[in-house]
Amino acid sequence: MALHSAAKGKLISVIGDEDTCVGFLLGGVGEINKNRHSNFLVVDKNTAVSEIEDCFKRFIKRDDIDIILINQNIAEIIRHVIDSHNSPIPAVLEIPSKDHPYDASKDSILRRAKGMFNPDELL
Amino acid sequence: MSQIQSSEDLDRVCDVLDKLTLDSLLLIEEKVRLTLNAENAMCGGEAHLAKARYIMGQNSVSALQLPTENSAEFTASAKVYPNEDEKLFGEASYELHLTGTAEGQTVQDPVRWFGVLVPQNLHSARGMFRQALQWAVQTVNIQKQLRATMEKIVELNEVKTRILAK
Repeated sequence: MALHSAAKGKLISVIGDEDTCVGFLLGGVGEINKNRHSNFLVVDKNTAVSEIEDCFKRFIKRDDIDIILINQNIAEIIRHVIDSHNSPIPAVLEIPSKDHPYDASKDSILRRAKGMFNPDELL
Repeated sequence: MSQIQSSEDLDRVCDVLDKLTLDSLLLIEEKVRLTLNAENAMCGGEAHLAKARYIMGQNSVSALQLPTENSAEFTASAKVYPNEDEKLFGEASYELHLTGTAEGQTVQDPVRWFGVLVPQNLHSARGMFRQALQWAVQTVNIQKQLRATMEKIVELNEVKTRILAK
């Protein structure tokens, strides 16, 4: 408990499909702050790519968010934005979704690590 | 004399590079394992959500029940805290804490968004997603270690190139 008093807790944000967002929000990660800004985005087939990009960029800029959970299939859509985020905070974690199982070969961090051992594969 | 010194430095750098490369491979394996654990927990949670939907109706467990930006302000009950006891390359790892109260404010129970009398499956789904959250936070810790290890490898490769250029 000493841990709590020493440091302020940071948020986990979610960008995902309906089930991912409903599930993690049930788990207690959701928050609406004083400025009426939420820390989640439900992505469906009608969500514009620019909206996802803007939301991701907004989450990166917020200093109360330390982890961004994003479905891997959505991360694929905004891969260029994710790859350009080099700061360790907030950490971006690609998670699987109901319709798209986890594929390690698409993961941004693992691709970078693989590219370090074999630079030709990064091209 | 300086050539002997350079060759010793090179050996030392290569040794550390070998160890870091091995570490990064182990971290990659661990990250994939933890992500698959999170996937399993999420699958379980999604199955419970589907059962709750079957009982309550299709639109009763959906994004429509989630708070919007016009909803009242509320605080997250699941937050991450830095664990200062576990540090790697100067960075603290994260620890997930689930609380009923956060910084003096009472936290709203998210199950209430879906109604007062909700099926047990919704509670089970919450449990499974909380488990997935624990796995996700552990994965983030491993990812942080992997990133730091990769940065060290890049730095040492530059040192190695400089030594070889002498």
